[in-house]
Amino acid sequence: MNFSRPLRFIAFIAGAITIASALNVAVTKKSYSENYPAVVCPPTLSGLSSQISLSSKKTPFQRLQNRSTKTEPVKVLRLPVMKDALLFDAQGSTPVVWQSRTGSWAGGALCSGPASSQWFVGASADITTKGRLMVVNSGLSDAVVDLNVFTENGKQPPRTLNVPSKNYLVIPVDSLAPGDKTLTVNVVPRSGRINSFMIDEQGKGLRALGGDLVNPTSSPSRTVVIPAIPNQGKKPGQGAAPAHVLRVLTPGEVDASVTVELLSSDGVFIPVGLNSRSISAGQVSEFTFAPKISSSAFAVKITSTEPVVAAVESSVAIGGGKDFTWSTAAPELSEFTMAVTGLTPLIVFAGSEINVAVEVTLVNGKLIRKAIKGTDVATWRVPAAARSFTITKVGKQTYAGALVSSVNGYGYFPIAPGSVLTRVEIPDSNIRILNP
Amino acid sequence: MASQAAVDKHRVTAVLVSHNGAVWLPEVVAALTSQTRPIDVITAVDTGSQDSSTKLLKSARIPFISADVETGFGAALSLAVNKLPKSIDHEWIWLIHDDCAPAPTALAELLAAIDDRPQVVMVGPKLLGWHDRTHLLEAGVSIAGNGARWTGLEPLEYDQGQHDGNHDVLAVSTAGALIRRDVFEELGGLDPNLTLFRDDVDFGWRARAAGHSVMVATGAVAFHAQASANERRTVEVDGAFLHRPLLLDRRNAAYVLLSNSSWWMLPWLVVQILGTAIARAVGYLLAKLPGYAGDEILAVGSLLVRPGLIIAARKVRKKQRFVSARVIAEFIPPRWSQVRLASEGFVDAVRAKLFPENSQVPTSSVLDANEDEDLLTPVNNNNWFGVFKRPEVIGFVLISLVSLLNSRNRFGALVGGALPISPAGATDLWSTYFESWHQVGMGSTIATPTWVAITATASLLFLGKVQFLITTFFLVAPIVMMFTASKLLKRLTSNSWISIPAAFLYAVSPVAIAAVSTGHIATVLFMILAPLVALLLSDVEKIESFSWRKIAGVSLLLALLYGFSLMIFVIGLAAGLISTLSDYEKHAQEANAPLYSLRLQKRAALIFVPFVMNVPYSLETIMHPSRLLVEPGLLISGGGPIHALLGNPGGANSLPIWLVSPILLVLIVSLFSSTHARRIAEYGVGALVLAVVISSLSISTHGNEASSKVWPGPVLVLVTLASVAAGTVLLDRLRETLVLSHIHYRHILSALLLFTTFTYSVLAIGWSVTKGADSLVQANRETVMPAFLSVEKDVKILVLREVGSENDKKIQYYLSRGKDISLGEPDVAPPQTVAIADAARGLIDGSGVTSSSTLSDFGVKYLYVKAPFKREIIRSIDGLGGFSRTSATSLGVVWKVTAPASRLMFVGVDGVRKELEAGEVGARTFVPSAGTLILTETYNRSWQVLENGYRLDRKMNEQGLPTFTVTEAGEISLIHDGTVRRGWLSLQLIFFVIVLVMALPAGRRKSEISEKELA
Repeated sequence: MNFSRPLRFIAFIAGAITIASALNVAVTKKSYSENYPAVVCPPTLSGLSSQISLSSKKTPFQRLQNRSTKTEPVKVLRLPVMKDALLFDAQGSTPVVWQSRTGSWAGGALCSGPASSQWFVGASADITTKGRLMVVNSGLSDAVVDLNVFTENGKQPPRTLNVPSKNYLVIPVDSLAPGDKTLTVNVVPRSGRINSFMIDEQGKGLRALGGDLVNPTSSPSRTVVIPAIPNQGKKPGQGAAPAHVLRVLTPGEVDASVTVELLSSDGVFIPVGLNSRSISAGQVSEFTFAPKISSSAFAVKITSTEPVVAAVESSVAIGGGKDFTWSTAAPELSEFTMAVTGLTPLIVFAGSEINVAVEVTLVNGKLIRKAIKGTDVATWRVPAAARSFTITKVGKQTYAGALVSSVNGYGYFPIAPGSVLTRVEIPDSNIRILNP
Repeated sequence: MASQAAVDKHRVTAVLVSHNGAVWLPEVVAALTSQTRPIDVITAVDTGSQDSSTKLLKSARIPFISADVETGFGAALSLAVNKLPKSIDHEWIWLIHDDCAPAPTALAELLAAIDDRPQVVMVGPKLLGWHDRTHLLEAGVSIAGNGARWTGLEPLEYDQGQHDGNHDVLAVSTAGALIRRDVFEELGGLDPNLTLFRDDVDFGWRARAAGHSVMVATGAVAFHAQASANERRTVEVDGAFLHRPLLLDRRNAAYVLLSNSSWWMLPWLVVQILGTAIARAVGYLLAKLPGYAGDEILAVGSLLVRPGLIIAARKVRKKQRFVSARVIAEFIPPRWSQVRLASEGFVDAVRAKLFPENSQVPTSSVLDANEDEDLLTPVNNNNWFGVFKRPEVIGFVLISLVSLLNSRNRFGALVGGALPISPAGATDLWSTYFESWHQVGMGSTIATPTWVAITATASLLFLGKVQFLITTFFLVAPIVMMFTASKLLKRLTSNSWISIPAAFLYAVSPVAIAAVSTGHIATVLFMILAPLVALLLSDVEKIESFSWRKIAGVSLLLALLYGFSLMIFVIGLAAGLISTLSDYEKHAQEANAPLYSLRLQKRAALIFVPFVMNVPYSLETIMHPSRLLVEPGLLISGGGPIHALLGNPGGANSLPIWLVSPILLVLIVSLFSSTHARRIAEYGVGALVLAVVISSLSISTHGNEASSKVWPGPVLVLVTLASVAAGTVLLDRLRETLVLSHIHYRHILSALLLFTTFTYSVLAIGWSVTKGADSLVQANRETVMPAFLSVEKDVKILVLREVGSENDKKIQYYLSRGKDISLGEPDVAPPQTVAIADAARGLIDGSGVTSSSTLSDFGVKYLYVKAPFKREIIRSIDGLGGFSRTSATSLGVVWKVTAPASRLMFVGVDGVRKELEAGEVGARTFVPSAGTLILTETYNRSWQVLENGYRLDRKMNEQGLPTFTVTEAGEISLIHDGTVRRGWLSLQLIFFVIVLVMALPAGRRKSEISEKELA
């Protein structure tokens, strides 16, 4: 048989495959648009003062209640805020707001981008509270927001708010569940560009009992780490060391069993009575514990059978007065930049293997690099002249929070980006979407 | 000749009219002289015969009158009657044509029939064929409402005495008719305006209106050659325009109807006659008999332009009438009987074409019977169970079951994949086809492809229900594929155990399964028709032997396929180029220029005529070549060259790549075969090479901005068919070789091939009836657009939707006109406007502060985000401004663009924008003052606005939208001038008719039909 003709045809096939391979370029190249959403800082309520730490004087900002959408550079590294909520185009650097009432309390919070859900574990609605929930709409359209409130008595009837565009609402916390002591609030925007902030301020008659900005967490989780809890220890003449109160809620339908581990430089242990504690679904529970440890800060790791949200309230003494902080859960640490001008926070890292590299930018522009290593808990004080620090390298399962002490009070904020790089795919036009 | 008047009281004068009838005259004369009841007087009139007619008359000693050549039959008759002695009682005139021979007893029977019927003034015999004397021509005659000569008989009806008896009729043929002389003279004889044809019906009608009776006496028989009607001699009578018998017949039919009918019937009759003439003319044109077609039209026209003739004739009849003209109503055939006859004729013709009588089939004679053998042969028990052991039955039952199981989610209105939802009725498809402006996206003037018109036409079989058509099509497609493939494969093997499984494999091939699952109509249709095309073109290598009629016929079939996908044109073009190059090489050796020129012409005709028949859609592909590679509907990505190499189109819903079909293996094995399989495999490999190359290309068309891999379905159909055919030939030949030889490599190779094929079949069926049933195409799915957005007419909505799998999601957008897209719309979808694309991009990445105003400029009123969608983007849109949320449901979120947005905007001199009412395409509305009209549709020169009868000045604004300058307040009309589209469609229709006429079998003039056939 003459094989030349069949072989010629097989050669044609091979040739076609070669040509096809050359032509067969990837056709589904996706194009993306990347940016950091602008972050919103809370308004300054009457009687309070605020300063916002920024990493660059060129950071553009606009006042939310100004109808103009034009922005202008901030020109300073620490911006005092008189009233309005502010919108910053910080491009990856997270500004921190520090609010205080003179001689009463102080607290810090992150300026953040719009959130799809925020959980505030803190504050109470009893007669001692003077707390406020601030709901900010930084969008150009009106927004609709749902508030889900949980207390020790279970879930309260939901409330819906209409927030005008470029405006904010201030809601007294005691109106959310009048008379209830332990609050947890979930803010869920139905529409609009929404950020919420909570101030927990307490007093008994004319006597101020302190206050704090309660930082939000995004979603319940089975493992919650609260990385920085201040521990002042027993002072001379004091009967007992100040106790800490763990507030925890499982918002689902099933009761949860929680175990709390305490991480400190003194070691890791489970406080008495916090091993496999059952908590009822939908009811806010509180557990008091007073660890006998020498370190000034510790962390808490909560493991649960159901997703939970949690925070720890700690009493602190500052100057001659009293204050308290709400240490809230922090997400796993990632690489990002945080502006801390004017603050000298103590950063507490928590994790089984802590290995973090930090790059600090000083006000004069100089860079300092620092490596933080440790087991369970490690602390690092940010230099006084720092304008920002950048986490350049971080190991897995590491969490961090910041504790700040000022003349007016003590504050906490989690070390987490206020806005993350949003990568949006550039859309294609395709009539196919009009077909089921 | 002795007088018989004393015997039977009648006196009969036979009048023979001859004109060039020498062929029949001897027998006619013999018949007259041999009558059992002798004729009393015979006289003849010759109207200028050029042959030996007069000589024959002389030799028969029949006295005759010589008349002018242009003398009509009636006039000749009158000439003879006038020469006769004065009329007496019971005197009858027997009209004899020179081509009509009465049987010997004819006259006796006629007279016997009227003996006791004094009211009868006209009686005629049963007319039988001249050549086939059992062929019943007439037993009385009438006229239908459309002028047709009505005998009530079937074509070529065999005379078995079924119409025998004496019956009252409207008229009898003048051939052999016996007419009472006094009545003949009283009515003025036959109408001189009817020189030939229909004079009999006219006379009968007049006789009846005068209160007399006409009857047929079938005891009397005459044999009639119908020489004039059958064009066996030239009609030369005066008034016979152009001497055309058909023309004369039709003209006279109309004359008879219009002269004799009641006056109030005339308008309806005119309409009927005209309509019938046009219909007949079209029929004759299709049969390539333009002369007859012209006769039909000229006949009616020549009469209608001379109304005086009709008026005069009606006056004469009015004087003669004693009873209403409606007295003949009982003899006029009902309309349904004509329809029934026509339909029966059509069915018979089709049946004869499809199932020709096989004269070769041996018929056993009773004489051959062997009675002893009969006793030993067991009685046939009709074992019905045996039927189910036949491969055909097993195969078709199995494919039906597989198709039913695979289609279990496809019972209902199909949608999904490449298939948009079908419109409710065929009229919607027709309007999509005819309209010059398509309301899709920002609007387009892209020519609608021909498949839309074909689908609309096909839906007539389903009473215009397009959804029913599409559902049925996809349900029965695998069965029909198997049927057509089996027709082809039976030509390659006589062994049904090979051909039927091979046809089954064809119907469950990867391309068949994928095409049905993804709604690729063109591929499915091509799978059905490809075996028939292969049958028609089986001898394409000898294309020079193809008749032009065959070329036209195949072109029609290819035009149908091109109409669905021009990829088939690409295949044809590639094949044509290769064949032409091959011819060029052969020509260099043989130097037979006329042969190769003819081959080139015919090949070019076969490739390009169907292309031309699909204008304007096909021509537009010159500017947009990517449309050469698409199918109807939405663009669905193929799987790329590796899939194509394995005979699998790939992409969503195709067979997984690990389910390898034996297509490639069979082709390669067949290449090394020494049988005909090798040649078939070479075609298959050629198609495979094309499929691999095409499948590596990426295109963006049909409303899809992103590039998608070409779906190589149609090319893979050919690969699959070639593989199945080659495998069939291979197995057919190999079976005998394997049986007779020892085990060697062929046995192993065959076993491997069969094992691969069997494994593939089982797995493919399994996949098809399980996972394959959850196809992209499914029935009764929820619509994309919520109902509340479809309520508002004339609205544009920007739709954003996240598509793709869980791990590979992608955001896409398009402009909706308030509802989901329907069949045909993706094919005419325009590319997206750049400004709208930017606005949509801004919405997604949060930078679109101006998106709202852009959308407003383009008349986009709503923004709809179909759920599920990224909540961050929804919040981002909330924050952009210019949009106000109107709803947020489980279906999605809707925003209204806050600025005015409408299809027709008016900007006054003060700069204020105002929305105006506008219809779907055109509009009539009111403008309040001078200003500028903005039509938010893509600019096109056919957009016109008329005010007070004047066209407003049209410009294109910076957004590419048409604007019109309004000078004063008043009512305006917005139109899209579709003259160009109508022109193209007319051209397409002309091309289609020309090719259709060329493809149809040619009709024959009666003069071309043999005597035997005419009987």
